[in-house]
This record gives sequence, structure tokens and C-alpha cells, in this order.
Amino acid sequence: MSTVPGQAIFRDVPEPRRIGLSQKVWNSRFDYLYVAPALIVMLIVIGYPIYYTIELSFFNTPASLALSAKQFNGLDNYVTILTSPVFWKVTWQTVLWTVLSTFFAFMIGLGAALALHREFAGRGVLRALLLIPWVVSAVAASYVWKWLYHSDFGAISAMLTQVGWIDKPINFIDNTNTSLYALIVVNVWKEFSFAMIMLMAGLQTVPDTLLRAAQVDGASPWQRFWHVTFPHLQGVSMVTLLLLAVQNFNSFIIPWIMTGGGPAGSSDIWITHIYQLAFGRQRWGVASAYAVILFIVMMVLGYFYVRALTKGDDARAAG
Amino acid sequence: MAQVILKDVVKNYGDVYAVNHVSLTVEDGEFVALVGPSGCGKTTTLNLVAGLIPMSGGTINIGDRDVTDLDPKDRDIAMVFQNYALYPQKSVYKNLAFPLQMRKLPKEEIDKRVQAAAKTLDIVHLLERKPRELSGGQQQRVALGRALVREPRAFLMDEPLSNLDAKLRVQMRSEIKRFHQDLNATIIYVTHDQLEAVTMSDKMAVMNGGFLQQYDSPANVFANPVNMFVASFVGSPAMSLVPLTAASKDGKVVLQSPEGWEMPLSDANGRKALSAKSSKVVLGGRHSTITVHKSQVPGAVPGKVYTVEPTGDVTFAQVFVSGAVVNVSVAPTFQLRPDEPVFLEFDQDRMHLFDGETEMALKLA
Amino acid sequence: MTMELSAGAAKRRGAGGWRWSGRIFLLLLLGFTVMPMIWMFITSLKTGFAAMQYPPQWWPAEPTLENYWRLIDPSGNVGRDFIQYFWNSIWVSTLTTILAVVVAVPAAYAFSRFRFPGRNFLFFAVLLRNMFPAVVFLVPLFILMKALGLVNTHGSLILTYLTFGLPLAIWLLKGFYDNIPVQLEQAARIDGATRFQAFFLIVMPLSTPGIIATSIYSFIGAWNEYIYAYTFLTRHDQMTLPVGIQRFFSENATDWPGLMAATFMMSIPVVVLFLVLQRYFVRALTEGAVKH
Ligand SMILES: Nc1ncnc2c1ncn2[C@@H]1O[C@H](COP(=O)(O)OP(=O)(O)O)[C@@H](O)[C@H]1O
Ligand SMILES: [Mg+2]
Repeated sequence: MSTVPGQAIFRDVPEPRRIGLSQKVWNSRFDYLYVAPALIVMLIVIGYPIYYTIELSFFNTPASLALSAKQFNGLDNYVTILTSPVFWKVTWQTVLWTVLSTFFAFMIGLGAALALHREFAGRGVLRALLLIPWVVSAVAASYVWKWLYHSDFGAISAMLTQVGWIDKPINFIDNTNTSLYALIVVNVWKEFSFAMIMLMAGLQTVPDTLLRAAQVDGASPWQRFWHVTFPHLQGVSMVTLLLLAVQNFNSFIIPWIMTGGGPAGSSDIWITHIYQLAFGRQRWGVASAYAVILFIVMMVLGYFYVRALTKGDDARAAG
Repeated sequence: MAQVILKDVVKNYGDVYAVNHVSLTVEDGEFVALVGPSGCGKTTTLNLVAGLIPMSGGTINIGDRDVTDLDPKDRDIAMVFQNYALYPQKSVYKNLAFPLQMRKLPKEEIDKRVQAAAKTLDIVHLLERKPRELSGGQQQRVALGRALVREPRAFLMDEPLSNLDAKLRVQMRSEIKRFHQDLNATIIYVTHDQLEAVTMSDKMAVMNGGFLQQYDSPANVFANPVNMFVASFVGSPAMSLVPLTAASKDGKVVLQSPEGWEMPLSDANGRKALSAKSSKVVLGGRHSTITVHKSQVPGAVPGKVYTVEPTGDVTFAQVFVSGAVVNVSVAPTFQLRPDEPVFLEFDQDRMHLFDGETEMALKLA
Repeated sequence: MTMELSAGAAKRRGAGGWRWSGRIFLLLLLGFTVMPMIWMFITSLKTGFAAMQYPPQWWPAEPTLENYWRLIDPSGNVGRDFIQYFWNSIWVSTLTTILAVVVAVPAAYAFSRFRFPGRNFLFFAVLLRNMFPAVVFLVPLFILMKALGLVNTHGSLILTYLTFGLPLAIWLLKGFYDNIPVQLEQAARIDGATRFQAFFLIVMPLSTPGIIATSIYSFIGAWNEYIYAYTFLTRHDQMTLPVGIQRFFSENATDWPGLMAATFMMSIPVVVLFLVLQRYFVRALTEGAVKH
């Protein structure tokens, strides 16, 4: 049993009684009281909807949402989705949207965090200003950018014209070639400061002594970043990238308000598409099936997310 | 003050046994040091006595009561934590008053006791400060004070001095000792520092890997370690251990090294060596029981000097003997040079023999 | 000797170059960040006519606060509605925040401190909610709200806002509790406190910054929420700001200066709240993600 040296005389101790699961649950019955209110609320507003979405995805439900008239249609809704060319187009756009938004938000955030890491006059103010896009509502952001992008009176076109880069206003969002990218810019504007603040906190965990030691050893700023700072940032970076990716995958407001997924579906992503299917075209079953597929994709991402977040948790248990 | 009895105490986290069938009795008014390397289960044991974590098995009595299922607040004990655990939002005064308030003592009584404890510990001038405005040593005193204001049945202390610098530690050591004597308090004192345990305690309980290894007075633990772990853990420099092979030769028992030298054993030691499970026997000796010779004398074994560390009134040296390092001490006038061949004579009456298989000390039947 | 010196100088120049490129980067980024907000404000000072010009007036020829007066004048149609939306938003956000915090505090504490069977699974379930878009819940919640007769009420919003407010609050608060040493509660319990007293007398006061931060998060989250409000509310007098201003200004041709004034007003409470309590806000976010 034990590999501790010198334990011969103790080896005849009885194996401690193992307690069963029900006993354990009973022993912690008071612990559950603390989480019960939260769990009840979550069961109603989260558990039930998830169950219901799954159920609806196997039915054909009339547009009026008359549930008594819904008909079981097996996997039809799923087949409809997976065989529709729109599905693949929207999926590709969702991937582009998620990957590009996440990448640029992260890189800009990283640059800002590194530049802000050193103490200088006005740093606090600068940080606060850079964080504002992240606090204002996406609704406000969408309207402002819609106005900035305006095809006739947009400030961006006007500026580019004055600088002489273009000679007539560009139609950024009413254009099937540019709409998605125009929206990605808005999304990055809204989100980079989230990455910045996370990475700034991460930078604070990089031991100064290590950086100084590297400097004494003659490492260039780039080498110091790559060999000392970056490895320390890996944990935070993982969490940040995951959160950004999830958030972007789930975006709705910016595309919905700015283009409604258009023109001609060129800026449609999963969520706007599902919303359109459900509340625009009342195709409840197909929309639910979409939601279930999305759910499964998110479960996989979610596994990594929770793993990254709860690492090292068990060392902190109390009685 | 009261007796504390642990019977077959077990605490496991899944397959990890933090405390494994520990039984020991702390007599009323006794100072017991719980000592062992980091992670051996000392804090867990103390937390079990305090009732801070649920036990997986066994019973604990404090005084005449079985407290196994009692809440910490009902066990009537006081505890000093390694990180002091002072309430950061409360002033020193409020920190000291808290245990009394919880017991619903009248205000005047609380004030009287807080002032008295503060006076004993010389922290009266700090009463209005917040913990973060105190130095480590002062925080330590406040933590001690919070334990002192009450008259608990037993004091539990978890490495209370480990965060102090060396000088303060020595000073606080004697203060805690004094306070033990004055109050005639029952104290269970956790430390990973064997020197602290040896100097402070009436009895020491040596733990390793969740098991209680030996529970005895420091002198007995020092003189008769039950196994190789205790032998090498207690004492500084540590007891040296040399793995050898026992053999009978011409009616005498000898220890043989792989290099070919032999060391004859006295009759008593010979009988011990033969009682080992196999022929593998480990020779143990403390530096004070080993004589260093420059030339071969009967019974001495050959070695080679590795390092020499003069400390003023005594010179310590490490000597390679049959692949093991042996700590020896010589008078400062005795010249030793690294790599010099020497001969070590182990005192037959004070040497230790361990079973090479079980690592337990070999005893006369 | 000389070689070493010049090498040192080069290194210093290199470091200086990095610093300068960092500053330039920050400057460009600042422009990118604030330009839209400044343009929002400038536009809100224009008349409808002044806004519809190309090239635009970079600063209005005749700046006017007319758009703001219109929003806060309770005697006009616009003002009456806007003020109603504003109060609706405050009411819904405040109630959501209080509910989320009250329910989240004990749960977060339990997740931080206790190891009951099923803890990991339940915590996983809680965190997982953050992964799902509102849309997954929208259809069934819509049906549920219809069944409960809550469509077009604030109750429907508050209840659904808890779907994101509660998991976030639990996660944030747990981060705070994780950083309060358990020894403090242990000391309290030894000093004669019950578990509950130890929590209430010792831990609660220490977690005030966490509770403040969590409250701001819940509040801002609820304040900015769009999709549920957009789906569940059709009656004007129930609408919150994000949906209200939209229906309001886009009915015919968009009144851009009016819309910009409204978004500006809508952003003020959260930005002010954020700037004042920034310290807590930033700490809360990073507490959970960056373990020290
Ligand atoms: N809450 C816990 N969960 C899992 N393992 C634990 C927990 N607390 C302690 N342990 C393990 O129990 C062993 C003993 O720990 P401890 O009593 O703190 O040792 P120490 O002697 O250093 O005070 C260690 O191996 C530790 O990892
Ligand atoms: Mg310990």
C-alpha cells in the first residue's frame, strides 16, 4: 500500500473505509443550499430552453408557434440545413468573421498591452480611453459606425477623399465584397481593449527579475519578449483567445443593426441567420436545429474554456 | 488545559492519504512538536484536531470529550496560523476582541482581557493599527495574542515562526516556550524545522508521508531513531548512513563493503545485524560518535575526505565511505585536506544499524 | 573597449526605437478608438440639414444642442418616449443586478470553498452558459414567456438577463473568493464563529470590491442588452434604450444627428460608471483569468 520507506511496522493498518457517493452527498447537504438558488434559476432559464430547443429541432412547428400542431419530422430539419448551400456560405462567413476578428483584436490588444506596460505620464488616462469602446453598447457602436460608413455622407469616405486616396465615396457596407470586412473592423474596434486588459494583467505576472536578468545577459527587446514575456503570457492568451472566439462566434448586434446580414447575405453569420430563420421566417424547427448544431460546436470549445479557467482549482479547497 | 487524544486518525483526498492512521496522546500541559518535511500531513493533522476539515476516519478527544463531530467553535481550542490569518479589515484591538465577542463576553471583560494579552505580548501601542500596517514580527505577536485572550483547552500552532527572520525566530521561540511554562498550556506545535522541535518540545511526533513515524521525547528520538527516515531527519548535521552487507566470519559478525573492506561488530551489534531480513544492513553514525584517524587502526574503515568546513570551535568534514557521504567532526587543530585518505572508527556502543530491506532500526530481541 | 561601447549604444538605440514605435502605435490606436466617439458627438451637435452634406462639416457651422433638448423635453413626443426608455433601462438593469448578485454570492462562495460531489460538473454547467449565444435560448424562452404571460413585461427581461448575468457574476465572484485566504474563515471558526458567521462577518466585508465589480458588470451587461429586448418587447412604453432608440429614429429616413445624440446619452451612464469604478472593473475581469 504505501511506498514510504520505513513503514514496515505500520503496514498492518486497516484500509480506511471508503464512503459511498450517497454518503458524500448527504455529508455535503448544506453545501448545496448555497448553490441551490442559482441552480434553480439557471435550470429555468437555461436548462429548460436547451431541452426545448433540442425538442423543437426534431419537429415541424407552424409559423404561429401553435405547439399543439407541431409534427415530428425526425432529422429533416438537420438534413435541410446540411444540404443547403446557404449553410456552407454562412458557415464560411462565420469562420472568416470569427477568425479575423479574434486575430486582429488579439494582436492589437497585445501591442497595446506591451506599449502600455511601461509606466509613463498619462498612461492611466490612455488606458481608460482605450477601454471605452468595450463598455459602450454594441448598439451605439453599430449606429456610429454605420454613420461613419454612410455611402453618401460618411466621414471615412470623406477623409480618404481629402487625403487623396480615393476620388469618390466608397460604399462600404452596401457592397457584397466589402460588407463582412467592414463589419469586422467595427468588431475589432469594439473588442481589442478586452484583449488589452487581459494581457496587461498577464504582463504583471512576468517577474521583473527575469526580464532584468535577460537584459543583463544582453538579450534584445525582441528576445526578451520572445523568451521571457511570451511564455508567461501563454495561459492568459489561451483564455483571452478562447473568450474572444466565443464572443465573436456569438455576435449578433453589430451585423444585425448594421446590415441585417446583407446585402444578399454577404455579411450573414450563424447567429443572424438563425435569428432570421426563426423570427423572420418563422421556421422554428430549422432554427432550433441550427441552434443545436451550434450548441455542439460550443460544447467542444467550452470544454477547453473551462479547463483553462479551472486549472489549479483543487489546491484551494476548504473544509 | 486538557489532554488531546488522536486515535487512528485518517484523512484522504481520493487516493492521496494526507494523514494515515495517526494515533497519539498529548498529555495535559505538554508541548508536542509535530515535525516532518513539507507535505507530510502536519497541517492536515492540525486542521483535523481543530475540526476545520472533516475526518475520513478515527476519533479525536480533547479533555474528557469526544470532539470528533464537533464544530471548531465548540472544541474550545485556539490556533495560530502560518500566515497569521489576521482579519485585514479589523484593527489589532478588534482582532484580539473577536474571539471574546463570539463568546458573548461582556464589554468590560473583553477590554480587560485584550489589554492584558496586549501587555503580555508588548503590543499595547499597536492596538489601533490595521494588520497591514504591522511588520511580520508584530503580526506574529497579534496572532499569538488572539490565541491568548481566551483560556482554551489546547493551543494549536501551525509553523508560527516560519515567516520570521532568523533572529526574531530565536527570540520568539523562547517567548513561546516561556508562555507554555507560565500557562502550563497544552500545545501542539507544527514545524518543518527539526531544530525548533528538538529545542522547544517535551515530545516530538515525527511524520512522513502521512504516517506517524516516531513519538517520543527529543532525546529519545535523537538517541533511538526507529527508522532511517527519522535518523536522517533529526539532528544536524544529519546522521550518516552507509549501506553494507552483514556476514559471519570465524564466529564474528562483520560488515562488508563492495570495495572489500570489513568492519567487525561487537557481539551486541552482531546479533542486531543478523536479525535483519536479509544480509543488507545500513550502518548509521552521528558525527560525534565517529573518530577520524590518519592511519589504519583496528576496526576503522577507509574513506576519502570530500569537503572540510571549519566553524571555529569544531571542524566539520564530509568523507566518502563506500560511495556514501559520512559527516564527521574533528578538533580545529586536526588538519584535514580534501582528497586525503582517512580512516573512520565508529563507536560500537553508539552506532546505529538498520535493516536494508525494511529501513527499520535493528534492535536486540 | 570602443567596440563594447558602440555595441551598448546600438542596444540603447534599439530599445529607444522600440519605445518610439510603441508610442506611435498607441497614438494611432487612440485615434482609431476615439474617432468614432468624437464623430458621434460632433454629429449630435448638427442640424439634420448640416449632417447631410458632402464633404461633411468637420465641425458644425452652427452647433446646436437642439437634439439633446428634444430628447430630454418631457412635453414633446420624442422626449416623453426617450425618458421612458431611460427609466425602463435603469429599472431593468438595477433589478437584474440586485437579483444576480444576491443569488450569485452564496453560489460563488460555495464553488470557491466547498468540494461537494457534482461541484465540478455544476461549475462547468455554469461557466458553459457564457459560451452560448442568446439565440440558442431565444425561441424556447420566447415560448416560455408567452406561456407565462410575460411578453412585453420587464419581468421577461430580468429573468432572461439572469441567463448571462448569473453565470458571469458567479464566475467573477468566485475569482474574488478564491483570493481570500481560507485561513481567515478557519481562524474565525476557531474563534467561535459558525460557518455562516465566518462568511458574513469576515469574508463578506473583504469581498466588497468584488461585489461592486460584479454589480457594475451586471448593470452594464443589462444596460447594453439588445437581442432579448428586441424580441420580447413590442410595446413602446416598455422598451429599453437600445431597442427604443432604434424604432424611434429609423421609422422613415434616419435622423442621424438625433440618433447620435441618443446613442451618446445612452452611453453616458455606462461610461461614467466605468470611469469612476474602473479599478474594480478591471480587477474583476482579470482576477479569474490570471491566477497569481
Ligand atoms: N484540499 C486538499 N486536496 C488535495 N490534497 C490535499 C489537500 N490538502 C492537503 N493535501 C495533500 O495532503 C498532503 C499533506 O498536506 P499538508 O498537511 O498541508 O502538509 P504539511 O506537512 O506541509 O503541512 C500533501 O500531499 C497535500 O498535497
Ligand atoms: Mg503546512
